[in-house]
Amino acid sequence: MSARLEIENLRVAYGASQAVAVDRLVVEPGTLAAVVGANGAGKSTLVNAIANWSRAAPRVEGAVRMDGEDIAGRAAHEIVKRGLQLVPEGRGVFMGLTVEENLREGAPSDAGPGRRSYSIDDVYELFPRLRERRSTAGGSLSGGERQMLAVGRALRMAPKSLLLDEPSIGLAPRFVALLLRTIRSLVDDGLTVLLVEQNVRAAMEVTDVVHLLERGRLIASGPVDEMRDDPRIVEAYLGGGHG
Amino acid sequence: MNLLQQVVNGVIIGHAYALVAVGWTMLLGAARLVNFGHGQMYMVGAFVAWWFMRLTGLPYPVAVVAAVLVGALIGAVMQRLLMRLTLSRDLVSLMIVTLGFGQMLEGAAGLTFGARPQTLTSPFQSMTLHFGAIWFTVQDVILVVATLVVFLALRLLLNATKFGVAVRMVAEDPVLTRLAGIDIARVYMGIFAFEGAAVAFAATLVAPRTPILTSMGFDQVVTTFVVVVLGGIGSVGGSYVAGLSLGLFTALFGALVSPAYTTAAVFALLIAVMALRPGQLAASANFAR
Ligand SMILES: Nc1ncnc2c1ncn2[C@@H]1O[C@H](COP(=O)(O)OP(=O)(O)OP(=O)(O)O)[C@@H](O)[C@H]1O
Ligand SMILES: [Mg+2]
Repeated sequence: MSARLEIENLRVAYGASQAVAVDRLVVEPGTLAAVVGANGAGKSTLVNAIANWSRAAPRVEGAVRMDGEDIAGRAAHEIVKRGLQLVPEGRGVFMGLTVEENLREGAPSDAGPGRRSYSIDDVYELFPRLRERRSTAGGSLSGGERQMLAVGRALRMAPKSLLLDEPSIGLAPRFVALLLRTIRSLVDDGLTVLLVEQNVRAAMEVTDVVHLLERGRLIASGPVDEMRDDPRIVEAYLGGGHG
Repeated sequence: MNLLQQVVNGVIIGHAYALVAVGWTMLLGAARLVNFGHGQMYMVGAFVAWWFMRLTGLPYPVAVVAAVLVGALIGAVMQRLLMRLTLSRDLVSLMIVTLGFGQMLEGAAGLTFGARPQTLTSPFQSMTLHFGAIWFTVQDVILVVATLVVFLALRLLLNATKFGVAVRMVAEDPVLTRLAGIDIARVYMGIFAFEGAAVAFAATLVAPRTPILTSMGFDQVVTTFVVVVLGGIGSVGGSYVAGLSLGLFTALFGALVSPAYTTAAVFALLIAVMALRPGQLAASANFAR
């Protein structure tokens, strides 16, 4: 049902400056892994490179395997069709399209074995607020509604693995909790998720594994219960207190 | 010369302007692209229909279909050739390359079809309808009805079909569109094929009104540009209104002021609009209206 995501020797560079150098990162099937790190650490660059998607066209080298199949270097839309879906940082919805039009494009219901497909109604079940706003333009949604729609759009593609880049940014705490809990429930249903989150405390509530990224490199990785006490995380992200 | 007849003429010419421009409207609205080979594609559409009728002896409506198919093909080929420029939306290069593409088409047409004026014969052009002091041809009626149908169909396509929604996604954010599993190169291909088919269709309906020449492309690209700019760049409904207004303007200006200065007046209008509403030059996000 779910996919194992395996990244090896990934190097990403903008021009001459290398932004990401990750030797190995594995997300086990049906688990949630969080990537945390300071601004500019390379979190977005990392998840974008996995999906081979970017507005800046950086140079990407390395292997990205989903259930053993190397998908690195394939066109972004091909990767989506294979079941690896990115929800990019910031604007993940179309402002000029209504909520329903945003959700229109989806994977065929027979997308392949082990893929759970979501109808538009399934997305509305998950985020009832979107049903109320179905005829509203994406550009007129609140930040929270927009992020729900971005996640909904991603689910419509029937992903096996989902990469989420700061889905909670700019949201009220109530929305952050709701969104992260929904994501957790998707993982419990079998989805494999790699989550970039700057709200480390909130991410710790839902994630299985934490990876700490610094200047493009993974400097610490481990199960959430160990990482909670890791001094580098405690100092920088949990306000110096205890976990 | 009565005024009412001039209004009728203006409405007919206006629909011709709108139909000729609809492909470019789509191209600009959806793909933010320009095609200065548009006028030559119009010319090729007219000549393909003429040539097809001469070669096969088949009737005019069949020639219309043939020209539309060839037009779509030319559009698709153009997209393949311009792929890299399309994806990067390099407008200046595109302008120059499409200008060159148009010149190539004109040269090839000159060699193939000769330099003499020809007539694309439609049986409907000689059927006239009289209502009191005004008259028009059945061809004119077909042109007006076809234009309305094309514009309404385009709106429906953009708002109610999966491909239409994909076109609007590409219009707003082509890079993000990839994450919906859409191969945007194929969407661009569809848009260019539409541009080619639409301008060829327009040519087959409009060209029977006057003799056709392989050098007639330039005038068409100019009027199309005026219509597209007046309509608020890339807006479907805006282009229709702009085409109609421009038709009425030229007909009435020609009748009331002077036919010799009509073209100059149109350019004056264009410059005035561009100076007064520079914001319109930025294509609107909601071009599907
Ligand atoms: N388009 C670009 N061109 C050049 N350098 C870039 C570009 N995008 C990012 N970088 C650089 O790459 C590095 C990583 O940036 P990235 O956006 O991946 O960081 P991030 O961890 O996602 O930061 P944030 O928390 O602010 O989102 C930074 O040094 C940044 O300056
Ligand atoms: Mg980022």
